[in-house]
Amino acid sequence: MEHLLDNNLPAIACHNIRTEYQSTLHRPILNGIDLQINHGEFVALLGMNGAGKSTLLRSLVGLVPIKKGDIEICGTSVDRKHIGAVRKNIGFLFQGGGLVDQLSCLDNVLCGCLGELTTWQSLWGFPQRDRRVAMQLLQNLGLQEQIYQKARQLSGGQRQRVAIARTLIQSPHILLADEPTTGLDVSGINQVMDSLAEMHQQGLTVIVVLHDLALAAKYAQRAIILDQGKVWYDGGCQNIERQFARLQSLSQFQSVNAA
Amino acid sequence: MKFIDRIRSHISKITSNQYNIWAVRGCIFISVVWAYIWSLNGLKVNLELIKTSLPYMTDFLSRLLPPDLSILDVAIKALIETVQMSLWGTTIGAILSIPIALISARNLSPFWLRWLASLFQNAVRSVPSIILGLFFVAATGLGAPAGTLALGIYTIGYLAKFYQEAIESVDKRSLEALQVSRASWWQIAQYGVMPQVLPLCLGYTIYMFEYNIRAASVLGVVGAGGIGFELVNYIRGFEYNKATTMMLVLLVVVTSIDALSSQLRNKFKSD
Repeated sequence: MEHLLDNNLPAIACHNIRTEYQSTLHRPILNGIDLQINHGEFVALLGMNGAGKSTLLRSLVGLVPIKKGDIEICGTSVDRKHIGAVRKNIGFLFQGGGLVDQLSCLDNVLCGCLGELTTWQSLWGFPQRDRRVAMQLLQNLGLQEQIYQKARQLSGGQRQRVAIARTLIQSPHILLADEPTTGLDVSGINQVMDSLAEMHQQGLTVIVVLHDLALAAKYAQRAIILDQGKVWYDGGCQNIERQFARLQSLSQFQSVNAA
Repeated sequence: MKFIDRIRSHISKITSNQYNIWAVRGCIFISVVWAYIWSLNGLKVNLELIKTSLPYMTDFLSRLLPPDLSILDVAIKALIETVQMSLWGTTIGAILSIPIALISARNLSPFWLRWLASLFQNAVRSVPSIILGLFFVAATGLGAPAGTLALGIYTIGYLAKFYQEAIESVDKRSLEALQVSRASWWQIAQYGVMPQVLPLCLGYTIYMFEYNIRAASVLGVVGAGGIGFELVNYIRGFEYNKATTMMLVLLVVVTSIDALSSQLRNKFKSD
């Protein structure tokens, strides 16, 4: 397990990854992705709808099977055999939070440490030590009043912060966030993005799928723009608006030609 | 899948035109009206028939009153048996419904298994409860055991479908989040699936229990025990006043169980 923390190895390395062919798209969703992300980076993953952003993120934790190529997380390849070791180091924020609505915020956060507990240990609830950690995390994220509230009663921003607490309790090295700001109001967006920035400052590698270019430019150091399952741009965030405009005009041109 | 996609693209092409949309709506309206007229003709209902049948109805209803309360003890005893039949019938049906729901759920089972399971579900649902009652009366003889078994099988037809829908409504992302947290199969079931499915399923089961009390009263007609057995005997013996007592007792119980169960269901919903 030690080599997972080896900082000389890239946090994420994808070599020519391809997913299964999609007849509706006439191509695989991921169609030959090559990229490398180092420890401590804050990367914004951008692209039009259907470009493969979420699929790429999901494939990094083994939620989408890869047909060709390989993915390495801190030098460990993402396959059936090593998936447990890989997931141990990754926290994943789902769009909308991915919480269990019927559980309390506290229980939702505690679900993050299920991997550390055996089925038998978690059968009658969670250990006191973990409960204290979870409460502290919720307090740090400004949710002390919502600790015992059901997740369904929360606002979008609160949900996403509970989800952040759930990933933090695993103390991951890499955080993947799939459109964490979708559906949130301005204050919710700022709260979530500020939390991500704070985690990044504490040394986490953060990869976040975004639609908002201004947010990407504000928080991320590096932008990766995907188009039709391939990396279309990979570089600094200074001129992503220009890059995006170019991509849009190109795709319009292509669709006119196809018609 | 491909075929459906192809049809869908044709349909969207047709409905993309404003005039076509109104033409399609007009066609739907005309066919609905036609279906109603066609059904009415098939039923051979006319004003004359309603007029001549009215005196018979009022005569029947007037003979029901007043209720004969002397058989109240018989009615309550029969009713208790009905509730007991419903309780066990619903429980047997609920237990048998769980595996069938699991193999019918879109998010759990492969296509072929789902197809078989839904075929089975439809087969069970299309057998009327009376037929099930007759079948079990033939097997176990007259009385409550036959009714209980009939209710058990009848319940599968509905609860399996309800459970299936509850399982299908589980939020996929919440389970994936647990998967990424390296939760075991059992942990995902305990902390992800159960909290989402259980309140819905309990609500459905309570509703089914209430429904089965009414269904059990019908089963009595074919001798499968419960309040219906006594009810039909009184009607066949022209003792309408006693039958009224039976129906009144049933009404009281069904109403109170309905009130109780809707409160319980609301509680499960808000949990």
